[in-house]
Amino acid sequence: MEVFLTTLKAVIDNLGATVVLPIIIFFVALIMGAKPGKAFRAGVTIGIAFIGINLVIGLMWGTLSGVAQAMVTNWKITRDVVDVGWPSAAAIAFGTDVGLWVIPIAIIVNLVLLVLKVTKTLNIDIWNYWHFAFLGSMVYMVSQNLTYGLVAAAIAAALALFLGDWTAKAVQDFYKLPGISIPHLTTAPGVPFAIFTNWLIDRIPGVKNWKVDPDTIQKRFGVFGEPVILGLVIGLILGAMGYYNAEQAAVKILQTGMNLAAVMLLLPRMVQILMEGLIPVSEAAREFMKKRASDREIYIGLDSAILIGHPAAISSSLVLVPIIILLSIILPGNRVLLFADLAIIPFVVALFAPLMKGNIFRMIVAGILELGAGFYIATNMAPLFTAAAQNAGFAMPEGASQITSIGDGFLWPQFVFTKLVDALGVIGLVVVAALLVVAWIFYLKSPAKWEEAAGAPAKK
Amino acid sequence: MDTPKRILVACGTAIATSTVVAKGIEEILKERGIQVITRQCKASEVRSLAGDADLIVTTTPVPSDLGVPVIQTLAFLTGIGKEEVIEQIISELQK
Repeated sequence: MEVFLTTLKAVIDNLGATVVLPIIIFFVALIMGAKPGKAFRAGVTIGIAFIGINLVIGLMWGTLSGVAQAMVTNWKITRDVVDVGWPSAAAIAFGTDVGLWVIPIAIIVNLVLLVLKVTKTLNIDIWNYWHFAFLGSMVYMVSQNLTYGLVAAAIAAALALFLGDWTAKAVQDFYKLPGISIPHLTTAPGVPFAIFTNWLIDRIPGVKNWKVDPDTIQKRFGVFGEPVILGLVIGLILGAMGYYNAEQAAVKILQTGMNLAAVMLLLPRMVQILMEGLIPVSEAAREFMKKRASDREIYIGLDSAILIGHPAAISSSLVLVPIIILLSIILPGNRVLLFADLAIIPFVVALFAPLMKGNIFRMIVAGILELGAGFYIATNMAPLFTAAAQNAGFAMPEGASQITSIGDGFLWPQFVFTKLVDALGVIGLVVVAALLVVAWIFYLKSPAKWEEAAGAPAKK
Repeated sequence: MDTPKRILVACGTAIATSTVVAKGIEEILKERGIQVITRQCKASEVRSLAGDADLIVTTTPVPSDLGVPVIQTLAFLTGIGKEEVIEQIISELQK
């Protein structure tokens, strides 16, 4: 058995994610009941997506690394942790040794918790299992122990269900989505920040009545919602800062602008291919889980992408884009060079809205707090993030910049998990699991009170 | 032959849920012999792209004053009520 496992691991390591993931996806889809032809095409499509994402990351990284180095020479500012964006983070997460097993693990966790009547959420959003894989990969990288990584991924899957259940009533009421919950680990971790911000602002006379009108914002800040233009402008500015004194400065600056505009369009396209490959798996998994879930009231767990069209989410994110770019420059100790994930901010703020009744001013404040803390988390975690990318087989040249992303590199769950495991080893995992269990017990004891705290309307 | 109708599919990212919807629409309408071209976009881009579309299908709220019929649905994601939504899409396309 030992020999078999070692051989298997060696084979997997040699082949890399572009070959192994298609094979695993093929079998997972088959077991879930997809037709062989469809399952096969799904696997191949996912392999292609990996190759495509790798190409685009290479372009982005080459461009931004050069700029980052030039900035150090010219301006003495160190911004050598490049934000490669959540699409890259998702691909990395699915490509690590943890990512290979995350789909079956998360499905089992979900079914067990449903059968035990602990959770009400049936998380059919297979695509977003990458968050669990991401968290597990970070724990794996810090502990160098695959089992710890897999257990961390399982706990993360449970955490998402907990956060999904807890915020479900608020989401259903504010966004008018009956029967839906959002077990999404980019969005749900924001709730504590929103609770704190509300508490704080309610104590400041005058400020507590401030409001901002979404329509004016969408008109004035609309350009920050267009990734290609944003990429071009940021590229030109970064290029100018990095290369103004270089030979053929104009050429280099213009190339930087065009390269980064291209990344903003191409990266999402590549991830669409990954998504397309996952559709047969997620449809099969949906039917598989529905058949086995009991017929009592359940929430269907979906991607927070369905919330993002709300004017409150769009408007507050548009304002946050220039603010956090400014923060990235002035915050002392920050090393993150923001770029690809400027488009993800609506996800970070979407669950602030029910708590804050769509008050954009408050959403912006909570966003500043969460993302401001995020710069330090991301700077601190960048070596692990980069190691995870290497484990997933993405080409990371030695000695160049490190990488991160706002989703989920800026967020607290992966930070808390990793630090605890780093400090305490297996005890760290026990502590995380115990905290989650305690929170869950308190929630199940008085659900109405908890749900109200997350922004659900008070029961009369 | 008629020119294919254009369907704009919107969600938060133009990546995740809109891919599921766009592929779902393409697959089923192809089976029924109806040619369509789908294009995915983000909710914040709907206003600037709506002019080129015959129909907008979205998983997230979008403005209602676009002058193009809008169908907001989660059916392709949850599998619940998918048939009805498909009929609705077909009848909008045949108008």
